[in-house]
Amino acid sequence: MLNRKIALKDEANSGPFVKTGQRYFIRLNKNERAQHIILVICFIVLAVTGFMVKIPEEIVQRFGTSGTAVFYFRGLLHRMAGTIMILVCAYHGCYLLLAPAGRRYLIDMFPKPRDLKDMIFNIFYYLGFKKEPPEFDRFSYKQKIEYFALIAGSTLMSLSGLLLWTEYRWSKFILDIAKIVHGMEAILACLAIIVWHLYEVHLRPHKFPIDNLWITGVIDEEEMKAEHPLHYKRIMDDPELRKIYILGGDQEEVNTPTARQVTMADLPRVS
Amino acid sequence: MIQGRAPVRFISLRILKSVILTVGWLILTAAISAAESEVIPDTENCLLCHRYPYMGRFDKAGQKRIFYVNEKMFANSVHGRLRCKNCHVGLDTIPHTDVKKVDCSTKCHIKEPSTDREFSHINMVEKYQASVHGQGNGKKPKPFSEDLPTCKSCHNNPMYGSPGGMWGKSEALMNETLARCLGCHTKQQWAEKFFSHFTRRMRQRRSQTEIVALCTGCHENREKMARHGLENIATYKDTFHWTQVKFGFENAPGCISCHVPVGYTTHDIRPRTDPVSPINLANRVNTCSNQGGLQTCHPGATAAFATGRVHAYGAKAQMMAASEDVDTENQDMSLVHQRAHADITAQETYHYKILELIRLFYKVLIGGTIGFMCFHQMLDYLRTRKKHK
Repeated sequence: MLNRKIALKDEANSGPFVKTGQRYFIRLNKNERAQHIILVICFIVLAVTGFMVKIPEEIVQRFGTSGTAVFYFRGLLHRMAGTIMILVCAYHGCYLLLAPAGRRYLIDMFPKPRDLKDMIFNIFYYLGFKKEPPEFDRFSYKQKIEYFALIAGSTLMSLSGLLLWTEYRWSKFILDIAKIVHGMEAILACLAIIVWHLYEVHLRPHKFPIDNLWITGVIDEEEMKAEHPLHYKRIMDDPELRKIYILGGDQEEVNTPTARQVTMADLPRVS
Repeated sequence: MIQGRAPVRFISLRILKSVILTVGWLILTAAISAAESEVIPDTENCLLCHRYPYMGRFDKAGQKRIFYVNEKMFANSVHGRLRCKNCHVGLDTIPHTDVKKVDCSTKCHIKEPSTDREFSHINMVEKYQASVHGQGNGKKPKPFSEDLPTCKSCHNNPMYGSPGGMWGKSEALMNETLARCLGCHTKQQWAEKFFSHFTRRMRQRRSQTEIVALCTGCHENREKMARHGLENIATYKDTFHWTQVKFGFENAPGCISCHVPVGYTTHDIRPRTDPVSPINLANRVNTCSNQGGLQTCHPGATAAFATGRVHAYGAKAQMMAASEDVDTENQDMSLVHQRAHADITAQETYHYKILELIRLFYKVLIGGTIGFMCFHQMLDYLRTRKKHK
């Protein structure tokens, strides 16, 4: 009964994104999307409340007497968001190791020598030296760079943040290092997110104004062929992968007019 | 006759009325001025001249001097019960060529109730002269002693205000407390003054931002600080302590939170090397952890934490790290350099170098990474747009 309710809700939500008679490929399952959304909220809160300490004196003075409250809630929110983000990262670690979907994610995400070649050839393609871009697997080198930058960044930020939070236990030298790392890493993370990630999902000409993938978790066949051709081939060649990555399972007759309507309810649950 | 006399009587009545009114007015104003003169007993008649708001002149240094005294404001000030000559000694001739500079250690003829002796600020002045800011004990004048702050550098003659900020800023509570005093001490003016005198000491009157601004008045001046072998306040403004003060956070640590914690006095700030100083390494744990006052900073501070460098590394650490190539020709900076050897230990120099290295690493990393990303995305944009046209 409950499942049915959730399914109905999903159908209602997926309305504008999923069309009848088309094959959709799952890029992010529900669990991964939930992790992403929590991470987005935490990241924004952390960035805003974190960079608030750098507001110049002249502007801070305009807060007047509310400065105390502003500073108090700034610190509180920053710590709360930081804690949630650390928990999400820890959960993600467990997910990678324990859930089958997570393990597949980890294997597909793992850097390979091919990625370096892809990057060089892709830049050649941008510069016009090559006619076609390299064929990407489930995750392109761009996504891998971003993912590992996120892992490195959040590890350093969590560690330095926790050191600064429990400042009275550590020597001042360690705290000085933590302070520099926390500040510099924050600048790096925010700029990287703006230049690399926000461009990728918002500003690329055919994605503008926003790529809906983070809500729906799926992309259509055309986009799949264009952006992840290698993964597409792998899925189409393997019946097991078809079951996992094609929305609504493997439907041979999907391109015929009698195709069943695929809905958000067809998204795989975390197993 | 009767007809002729009537207007005369009428006129005399009018005169009489005017006289009565005038006398009444004079009595009334006299009474008011008598009442006011109770506020300030201007027996020296200084206000004869000094009540005029535009009274003043430019002194030899070209500085504007204002000699106007606002009677009511002065009466409401902390020195409102004193006579002019109690502090401004001399003043026997006009123009006042014989006046001496105000000396706060002068006895001011008010009885100090605990000893019943004439009051003076001599205790504070003596402590202050022995402190890092004072002129010393008179044996050997300090170099550049004109830079050192005097009483008036920090103190003006402040007004008594309502004790807002205390007891949750409740005016009502203040009124109730004062009413209790008035039960026994029937002379209201005295009771109010005493109440203000007492409650004024129950709270920190200046906010941390104001305290930092006060100290910054001198400590921000790079040349002045260099003359005394000190770095300027930028080393403080690079700390999270200052960030808190900047926001006006109540528990924020300003200058005096560490340099004058509970049990110390602002007039007796000592250099770091003095064993009495709260920032001496031996006293640091106590300073950082529990000060026993209203502020709670780092209650569980460990020795490793508390003995670290609080202000950020500045010019001195830079000099120590650069060691050989220092501009020692500049005499002022050479004193800073000289002091740097004593202030910055070899370990701190090493730490500073590592921190600078990390900073440099990040600068290169950020520049390189973001530069590459911008380049990559720009190419992507151009190519994708071309493809989708």
